[in-house]
Amino acid sequence: MNQNKQLLMIDDDPDFVEGIKSILDSAGYSVDVTYNPKDGLQALQAKTYDLLLLDIMMGRGAEGIMIARKLRKDPKLREMPVLIITGIREQMAFLFPGEPVHPRFVAVDELVEKPVEPKLLLEKVSTLISLSEARKSKTG
Amino acid sequence: MKTKPKILIIDDEEVVLDSCTLILEGGDYSVTTASNGLLGLKLVEDIQPDLVFIDLKMPGIPGIEVLEKITEINPTIVSIVITGYATVTSAVEAMKKGAYDFLPKPFTPDEFRIITKRGLERRKLMLEAIALRKEKELLRENFAAIVSHELKSPLGAIQQNLYALSGELTGIVSENQLAKIERMKIRIDDLLKLINSWLRVYSVDISKIKDNFSTISVSSLITKAIETIEPHAVRKDISVIQTVDESVSSVEGDEGSLMEVLVNIIGNAVKYSFPGSKIKVNATEKDGNIEISVIDSGVGIQEEELPNVLSDFFRGKTDQSGTDSHGIGLTISKRIIEAHDGSISVTSKANEGTTFIISIPGKK
Repeated sequence: MNQNKQLLMIDDDPDFVEGIKSILDSAGYSVDVTYNPKDGLQALQAKTYDLLLLDIMMGRGAEGIMIARKLRKDPKLREMPVLIITGIREQMAFLFPGEPVHPRFVAVDELVEKPVEPKLLLEKVSTLISLSEARKSKTG
Repeated sequence: MKTKPKILIIDDEEVVLDSCTLILEGGDYSVTTASNGLLGLKLVEDIQPDLVFIDLKMPGIPGIEVLEKITEINPTIVSIVITGYATVTSAVEAMKKGAYDFLPKPFTPDEFRIITKRGLERRKLMLEAIALRKEKELLRENFAAIVSHELKSPLGAIQQNLYALSGELTGIVSENQLAKIERMKIRIDDLLKLINSWLRVYSVDISKIKDNFSTISVSSLITKAIETIEPHAVRKDISVIQTVDESVSSVEGDEGSLMEVLVNIIGNAVKYSFPGSKIKVNATEKDGNIEISVIDSGVGIQEEELPNVLSDFFRGKTDQSGTDSHGIGLTISKRIIEAHDGSISVTSKANEGTTFIISIPGKK
């Protein structure tokens, strides 16, 4: 049933991406990948995704945050669930002082630390997608 | 271009100023003179000299006061006092007030040249020391960023691929081969944990945990910590026995950090215990403090190593299982407990066992 789910991953580390993508591929998801924020945003405009896997520390700093901010402002993209995959949790606390476990960028999001165990990854992805779908059907 | 060392001479006798300037001529210095303390201090502010000679006996502001003011303006400026009456007391007083050296009058040109050289050498060393300290500070501050990206990213990528690989190879390769991948995953996981510990020591200000203190039940804290350790204990057939006195209620603290301490210390106890042995975790109240003791009957710590156990980055040499231990964990534990206004102590006998006692103020 995952066959028709379209996922986008934005992460600047191709080796890491390969490790995540192959787990998601095996589970039947269709995963597109972009390796920088700019291409990522373009991809998000060009196609509708069921979930975004987002890295935070890219390029010269926390460029993933920039994407998250843009998503929050966009009425359509705001509804897409986001799984943030980041290097360290402390980084998040540093970037968003005062906010607990993780910031709520968009309606449905969640944060996991790199590396992600396959079971946890698949669990989070499917939970986020179903949460978001439940939200959509409620709001009609 | 390298700038010439700047030397300032403050003396009321024109003949001294002239002869000193003459002596240093051709020595590739930039020499400035002042005929009294007030002028001298103004010049110190303006030109920020590397080295200042001060005559102790001058009309107007006394030399010793000039010296004090210079040290106030910039403590890295090297001052040398010139004493007309070569008494030990005035020289000693000047040295106490921050003078680097003293030069008794009369002096020969060579004596003056040598002391100038030494003074400038001193200044160079001081500036170098400051630069090194700054660099060290910068390195410490940036450590988090450097370590997280340069070390964690590649390890994370390796681990992620191993995760994917072990899934894909299940059923294709033999159990024995899968076990090899499993071993790699465990070792990389250890490395990642070690890096996280380093990051905590270098970049996280542990005293900040005070901001989110809440009331924590001691017995449930201990229960949770033991649950975390249980799998490791079971593997070595070690039983962890918890005894909490009824008087023990709660403490004010940061639950996550206190858990970390207990998991660390009980984990160490498991690591250094013999298979089949017992570890006791007791909690009692004593003079308003909650005392949690972790007692093992393991390999113990050599008497001469005992004082080092809780100092920075000590690592025990005797490791039963051959697994890596992180002495850094105890360093972090100590800092966490100290942030709770508590203390950690340790007693041990080689081949008999070790007892760690954590003491933190109970909630009033």
